[in-house]
Amino acid sequence: MTAARVGIGGPVGSGKTALIEVMLGHLARAGIQVAVITNDLVTDEDAERLRRGGRLPPERILAVQAGACPHTVIREDPTLNMAAADRLDRQFPGLELILIESGGDNLASTFSPDLVDYWLFVIDVAGGDDIPRKKGPGILQASLLVINKADLAPHVGVDFPAMMAEARAVRGGRAVLPAVCRRDEGIAEIVALLRREVLFR
Amino acid sequence: MIAGAGQPAGTGAAPDMRLLRALHFADSAFPSGGFAFSWGLETLLAEGRADGRNLRGWIAAELRGRWHQFDRVALAGGFWHSGVALLAWDRIVDESIAAEGARLDSLRAGAALLASARAIGLAVDPAFAEASDDRADAGHFPVVQGHVLAIAGLDLPAALAVSATTAARGLSSAAVRLGRSGAISMQKDLLALMPLIADLAAAPPDRDTLPGSFAPLSDIALMRPAAGRLFVN
Repeated sequence: MTAARVGIGGPVGSGKTALIEVMLGHLARAGIQVAVITNDLVTDEDAERLRRGGRLPPERILAVQAGACPHTVIREDPTLNMAAADRLDRQFPGLELILIESGGDNLASTFSPDLVDYWLFVIDVAGGDDIPRKKGPGILQASLLVINKADLAPHVGVDFPAMMAEARAVRGGRAVLPAVCRRDEGIAEIVALLRREVLFR
Repeated sequence: MIAGAGQPAGTGAAPDMRLLRALHFADSAFPSGGFAFSWGLETLLAEGRADGRNLRGWIAAELRGRWHQFDRVALAGGFWHSGVALLAWDRIVDESIAAEGARLDSLRAGAALLASARAIGLAVDPAFAEASDDRADAGHFPVVQGHVLAIAGLDLPAALAVSATTAARGLSSAAVRLGRSGAISMQKDLLALMPLIADLAAAPPDRDTLPGSFAPLSDIALMRPAAGRLFVN
């Protein structure tokens, strides 16, 4: 039995690492055994940030450098990430969940079904309320769409309820959840969804 | 004029499984993690030590100085050996890589190819699999490549041809992604390199040959830190 693998993708700066940071607290309180793989271009920046956060033992956070192609390493050729996930499974018997964070990419980014069982796409209101209307594969195909930084909506001229409604409409009723990762708002609902649909507990 | 182009291809029998397997594993779409590595070329292009407009010469030098003397030998050992002997050979290859960065990248690439081989259902040598479970430092790319191509049913000449072809294409693809070579130019280079690839891949090494290489520019490039790169190395 291997751990469930959940991808987290989305544009640069949308809050993927912030989401993982705050999710780790919720998952720890639920007693769920977690590890994380980060994908940066050529640094370990995101992995180092998570290690500094101290919510997981450092050896449970692996950095996979993906070179110039963040989408290739999660879709066309996910083997570097598969090797890292296999290694975590071998090193930590009883592991239940591996979160795989993509490098920041564009709206066409999707995860290979060979790599993950479920994946989240994170966008934020500051990227513009037209993002859902653009209907990129990331927006449409993700198991769950998270719209982060909801608190910034009034400051960037975004009608947040309308943006949420539009996102739900283009996704044909598939899950869309709001979040403010910085304040730990909406994260309990995201974790509850993961527990129900992926971990079955 | 491309060598051999325009000549009748003949009406021989349908392609055999050896050819089809070689095409399969030489396909750039075969997932093996190779897209993330430039093996020093990015740095050398940036510094003008390699010329994107004359990449053919650079790749030929890498094929002669590195692939033929190191990868070909390491691959053949991976192809021939199994069990404990396979791990011992991998250790010899490990000790033959001077640059620590290149050593770690070779292990990363090897782990990716092993993951791919397992995922498609190839029977990876249990000794290799167990060693990889316990140690992060087993499974160098050319050794794994030799092992994987052997268990996939290729013969050694075909495995060597696959390896040399994918090495040349990996370098030229890196130059294309860096914007230093065109996709069409790349294909012209690869076609022109075919006779060299065929020549270098024709003969397996002797059984007692040890891996060694002479590719000082790329070796030094692999040892140097670089900021703002597009590739892992």
